[in-house]
Formats: sequence, structure tokens, C-alpha cells
Amino acid sequence: MPSVRLGIRRFGAINGLGLATLMKREASRGLKDYNYQLLGPAVTALLYLAVFRLALHNDATGQVLINFIAPGVIIFSACEKAYESAAGSFIFDKHEKIIADMLMAPLTPFERMVAYVGADCLGGLAVGVAVAAVSLVFAELGAAHPWAILVFGLLGMMFHSLVGLLVGIWAEKWDQFSAIHTFLLVPLSFLSGVFYPIEALPAAFQHAMQWNPLYHAIAGFRYGMSGTEAGEPMIHVLVLVGVNLVLAGWAYRWFRSGYKLKP
Amino acid sequence: MLPLSSRRYGAINWIGLGTLYGKEVRRFWSVATQTVLAPLVTGLLFLAVFVLALGHRVDQIGGQPYVDFLVPGLIMMTIAQNAFANTSSSLMIAKVQGNIVDLLMPPLNALELTIGVAGGGVTRGVVVGLTTGIAMMVFVPIDIAHPGFVIFHAVAASLLMALLGILTGIWAEKFDHLAAITNFIVTPLSFLSGTFYSTTRLPELWQTVAHLNPFFYMIDGFRYGFIGHADAPVWTGVIVMCGVDAVLLVIAHRWFQRGYRLKA
Repeated sequence: MPSVRLGIRRFGAINGLGLATLMKREASRGLKDYNYQLLGPAVTALLYLAVFRLALHNDATGQVLINFIAPGVIIFSACEKAYESAAGSFIFDKHEKIIADMLMAPLTPFERMVAYVGADCLGGLAVGVAVAAVSLVFAELGAAHPWAILVFGLLGMMFHSLVGLLVGIWAEKWDQFSAIHTFLLVPLSFLSGVFYPIEALPAAFQHAMQWNPLYHAIAGFRYGMSGTEAGEPMIHVLVLVGVNLVLAGWAYRWFRSGYKLKP
Repeated sequence: MLPLSSRRYGAINWIGLGTLYGKEVRRFWSVATQTVLAPLVTGLLFLAVFVLALGHRVDQIGGQPYVDFLVPGLIMMTIAQNAFANTSSSLMIAKVQGNIVDLLMPPLNALELTIGVAGGGVTRGVVVGLTTGIAMMVFVPIDIAHPGFVIFHAVAASLLMALLGILTGIWAEKFDHLAAITNFIVTPLSFLSGTFYSTTRLPELWQTVAHLNPFFYMIDGFRYGFIGHADAPVWTGVIVMCGVDAVLLVIAHRWFQRGYRLKA
């Protein structure tokens, strides 16, 4: 007779093992095919910088603009990755009907959400580091306020990952996935200062930008790298934390109710 | 009563060709949000970004304000990427889903296949270019100096990219291969061939390299049609486009004929 009795596996308030397993699965599927999952964003970022480098004069003013753009491109690429892995894995799993594997596991809605967001942020981080490395070809990068790089990088990726979770749960087709990306997320980041200071915008738009969470993420992240201040960093943090909490609450509700996930 | 027999047609199977072309056009038109509206929005975004970031910093190019220079480049970039995407994804999806036989079984010869599929890509390129151009016109004034060059280069470039898409779609075995060609070849070439800056800004050596790149001629010639200024001799551009189109057409035709990576 085996000395161990079969029974339900027991764990404390949080199923740490389950959470780590789901996170590991999600993070590794996001980076499995590094060929285009890391190299792709890196090449695209390099292209953006190259285009600006070539369009600008090769002098000090040109370099200033490149140094301004690079942090924007880094956080933009990292955030895009977080959105893609979150939404992508849900839509894929729903189509392949393997979403049940995740729903059957003894994980609470909260644990599921944390595991997905954590894994998406890790994927985003990998892309961010890769893009930062290739950016060095054209730009001079700094770390004026390391805490801000970390905090804003994380908050920006969390925002994208949570939007990705919501889209992934809601969407039934890949069209919806790309529609949110093309018509919502990319315009929000492109128009909120990835490539230019918002002072370049007409006054009315500058004001509207304050309502765009991505403006706060990009401005804060750039403050972390180059020390250029655009607005009050603490305001940026508060806005992002607030938005992320709302989205997390929303995602939690959907995970709990099984909206579009359970029959 | 007529005896049943195989349908007869002349040298060209017009019904078959028309059906294939119609299918290729409906394929993208039924998801026009993704295939026409999305590139249009992306094009407008690029316009906004580059004008806002560079408008004041970049001098006039060839006596033209930067915006006038930029607009044709962006339209051409959109045309190129979409013509390529249409044919490459059509063949790729058909191969992955296994319904490529529906393309190979009907009584269409290799030339009809090439023209039918490429025609869909050309149509998408031209439609997307036209709508993007009209949308941009809302924000910036666009003049057309030589309409003939605009039309020629829009069609010739769409054909070039559509044929390149056919070759990629036939060659690729997985979506990864297609993504790799798009990310590492098509996008870089469409970005770096003078879309956003004049190639006269490049160092001597790179100028020579740029002038060996067919993407450069399609952008340069198309831009000449709008602003009447080109970096390279315009007729060289026309000859290069015709030449490259002809070579790609021959290769695509051969691949369809041999069934390279299509037939068992």
C-alpha cells in the first residue's frame, strides 16, 4: 500500500504552484518563437529610428529628437507585445477550444488574472529590453530616474495587458483583435507623444491628451529615461494606477462570471 | 437536347478568369474595415506623426514643403504593403486550410491563375491608395502635376507587390515565413526607400545602393507624378518598373505552371 493517501491537493490562500504554472505557460508561449516575437518588434523599432535619423540633419538638434523618440518607441513596443500576448492567447485558445484547460484548473479568478498579466508583462519586458538594445545604434539612452522607468514601464504594460484580456475574452474573431489594435491602441499611443512632445499639438488636443492614459505612461517613462519632465510624475502614476484598477476590476468580474468563457 | 460535354472556350477562359478575379476582390472587400479602413487610418497616423515631429525641423526638399513630399511617399507605402498582403495571404491561407486545390483544379492555366490572383492584389493596392489619398486630402492640399505618372506608378507598383506576394505565398510553408518576409523585407524596404526622406540625403554609397532598389523607383516616380520633382530620371523609373514587373510575372507564371510547392 502506498503510504501517501490520494486526496485533493491542498494549498493556502493562494494557489502559488498553479499561478506560477499558468504564468510560465503564458510567458513561454509569448516568447517561444523569438524569431519574430522578439526580432520583429526590434526590427520595426530600428526602422522607426532609422527613418527619423535619415530624415533629420545629422547634428546636435537631430540627435536630441532621436533621443526623445527612443524611449517612446521602447515603451510602445513593450506595451504592444503585452496587448498581443494577452488578447492573442485568449482568442487562440477559444478557437482551439482549449480554453477549458485554463478554466478547469483550481485557480481563482484573481489568480488567473494575475498570472496572465504577470506573463504579459514579462513578455513586454523582454521586447522592451530587446528594443532598447537595438535603439542604442541611433540613440543615447539614459536612466535619469530608474524608479520611473520601472513603474511607468510596468503600469503601461499592465494597462495593455488588461485591455488585451478584456478584448481576448470578448472577441470572437481575429478581426476584432486587430480592430482594437489599429483603431484604438495605436492611435492613442502615436498621438500621445511617442514621436513628438505634446506641445506640438494644438491647444485643444493638448488638453484632451490628459484623458489619454497612454500619454501618462509615455511621458512618465520618458521622464525616467531622459529626465525630460512633461507634467507632474505623481499625477501620471495616479492616473495610471486608477485606470489599471478599474480595468482589473472589470477583468476580475469577467473571469468570475465566466462571460464568454464558460457556456 | 444538347449532349453534355466539357465547356468550350477560346484561347482564354474568360469566365474562369473573371470568377477568380471576382473572388480575390470579394475576399478583401468583405472585410473592408481591416483591408481598406485600417491601412487608411495607419497612413493618416503616420502623416500626423511625421508632420508634427518633423514638419518644422526638416527643410524643404527640392523646393517643396515636407508635407507635400511626404504624402505621395505614404500613399505609395500603403499601396505596396496592401497589394503584397492581398496575394500573399490569399495563397497562404488557401495552402494552410487545404483549399488550394480549389484554385488548381478548375480549368485555368498558369497565366490565368497569375493574372486572376495578381489582379485582386492590384485592385486592393489601387483602392487603398485612392481612399488613403482622398482621406489625406481632407487634411493637406494635394496637387497632381502629372496624372499619367501617378496612375502608371500606382498600377505598376501594385502589380510588382502583388506578384511578389504571389511568390511569397507560394514559397512560404507557414505563417511565420510570411510574417518574416513582411517584417524583414517588405516593411523595411517600403520604409527606407525614400518614403520619408529624399535619397539625396544619403551618403554617396547608399545613394548608389538605393538606386538599385525597385522600391525606390516606385516611390520616386509616384512622387514625381504629384510634385513634379524626382531624385532619379523618371523614364529610368518607368523602364525599371516595367522590367521588374515582367520578370516577376514570368517567375510567378513558371511557379504556377510547375506547381512548385502547390501540387504534390
